[in-house]
Amino acid sequence: MARIELIDVQKRWGHSVGVRDINLDIGDQELLVLLGPSGCGKTTTMRMIAGLEELSAGEILMDGQPVTDVDARDRDVAMVFQGYALYPNMTVYENIRFPLRMRNVPKSEHRHRVREAAAMVEMEPYLDRKPAALSGGQRQRAALARAVVRSPQVFLMDEPLSNLDAKLRQSMRIQIKQLQRKLKITTVYVTHDQIEAMTLADRIVVMHEGSCQQVGTPDEIYSDPANTFVASFIGSPPMNLIPGVVDGGVFECQNVRVTGIPDSVTGSVTLGIRPEDCSVAGNNSTQHAQGTVYGVEPTGDLTYLSVQAGDNTLDIKANRDYRSELGEIEAIEFDTQRLYFFDSANGMRIRA
Amino acid sequence: MAGKSGRRSENRFIRYLILFTWALFCLMPILWFLSIGLRPRIEIITPQPIYWPSFSLDAWKMIWQDWPMAKYLFNSVAAIFGSVLIDLVLAIPAAYALSRFTFRGRDDIAFYILSTRMMAPAIVAIPIFFLFRNLGLLDTIYALMLVYAAINLSIVTWIIRSYMLDIPKELEDAARTDGAGDLRILWEIIIPAVLPGIITAAVIAMIFAINEFLFTLLIASTPNAYTMSVALANFTGGSDGVIYNAIALVSFIAMVPVFIVVLAIQKHLSRGLTMGAVKG
Repeated sequence: MARIELIDVQKRWGHSVGVRDINLDIGDQELLVLLGPSGCGKTTTMRMIAGLEELSAGEILMDGQPVTDVDARDRDVAMVFQGYALYPNMTVYENIRFPLRMRNVPKSEHRHRVREAAAMVEMEPYLDRKPAALSGGQRQRAALARAVVRSPQVFLMDEPLSNLDAKLRQSMRIQIKQLQRKLKITTVYVTHDQIEAMTLADRIVVMHEGSCQQVGTPDEIYSDPANTFVASFIGSPPMNLIPGVVDGGVFECQNVRVTGIPDSVTGSVTLGIRPEDCSVAGNNSTQHAQGTVYGVEPTGDLTYLSVQAGDNTLDIKANRDYRSELGEIEAIEFDTQRLYFFDSANGMRIRA
Repeated sequence: MAGKSGRRSENRFIRYLILFTWALFCLMPILWFLSIGLRPRIEIITPQPIYWPSFSLDAWKMIWQDWPMAKYLFNSVAAIFGSVLIDLVLAIPAAYALSRFTFRGRDDIAFYILSTRMMAPAIVAIPIFFLFRNLGLLDTIYALMLVYAAINLSIVTWIIRSYMLDIPKELEDAARTDGAGDLRILWEIIIPAVLPGIITAAVIAMIFAINEFLFTLLIASTPNAYTMSVALANFTGGSDGVIYNAIALVSFIAMVPVFIVVLAIQKHLSRGLTMGAVKG
């Protein structure tokens, strides 16, 4: 049980800024995901919450108590690392037991609690093994068991799944979410993988160059992005961003023309449209963009189409039976209910 | 199929032949020591080669009866193990600090420690002599322990430090969030992880120490502190001339402690010598 507050948290190393002015209020039992490209400061932010990194400025509160100057060993947090960080000289049993020994949990409880934690992640058969004799997935589960064994106030997970293969990653994702719901422990989860973020999070914090770009539920982040960075980082393929000019309710740039733009949008803007909101224009539909076919990738359930319209390449999720030859001319229709506009100067969203 | 397996066993035979030849080549000096040590003195100084030397325990009897060889052996072993112990007690925390904590001048201090090794030993011979005389430690094995430890401390620190640098920082972060303090982390996580490095460093220090001659000669003036390496010098002069078979036997005996230690920790040693090279 813990609520975590970050107030104007900063991290600098000399002149380089790792994290600038992060303000976050993480609710009790919430699963918050810090999402961003590498070097965006997400891991640093998490390490500051763990107490492994000192703050350059700002404050961190846990349940209203300042913990900024509390050493990592005295904060009631457990962390799972990208490289698992299992102690190589100890068996799985000893690894899971280590936090209990360090926190002076009575010896009589050890066996019972280690078994309980191992059972939660189905690691009971492997308690006698050394980490070197485990597969990647087993190591990750052992690391999870070590984190849950002493029922900490806060879970911190630093890209825990990034060393696993795709299939294992999906099943571990579900397992982590189950575990978090069952134990009701406030969790901060760092990842650069948007699918992980979307599927796990109660709320997502999108970070870029050390600052927070947007905080919101996965739905909000996806359908209501605050700026072009968030719009282009989330989604696969990402949102199409087309720079152009709006004059008298008409958006225009080379090979793209959209009418009926709200009055609040004028001048130099970036138009955003997600690939699934674009379609190949039929005979009777409006043609918003024209271009030559640049790529056709049938995947079975749908076909990824890229069209070169002037200087912009548009990604479209077309029907699964759509086919065409490269170099053909194709017309594209936008779902005009799902257009986004961003200020060209600073990338911020212009809301109608 | 038959041809293939035939070729394979042929390959294996050649491999063993090469390894056997190499082993023989490496063991030759040792066998030679034994052969010289166990023949009569007269057969060593004859100009004609002798292919089948006669067997004699003269030298063996002489070194144990006429000389306090057991005392020398004890001195060697005690001084060497004592010095290695001092080295480890000092070097492990130093290496930990130098590899993990960030503080001003850390790399300079590390380099300074290494630079003490670059000095010619003769430069400090006289100061060391006076130092131990004033401490009243001349002609004791304690002085030898301290000198050997001082000579090896830098290299031991550096070897252990380089192993510690290879340990992922994550491991310590994990231990810290699990509730361990610095000393706990050092004792329970770092030392077990760098054990091969510690053993490698200890063996190297041991080999340096057993070969040490200059300072031992300076400090030891009676059999009270003579070690095997200095005792050897006893057989090269004096009214009896150079007693080759005794020298050979003493050299052989001097090898035994290191041989036993290396044999006992061989598994760790080979892992240690390669671990630094390949990360992960």
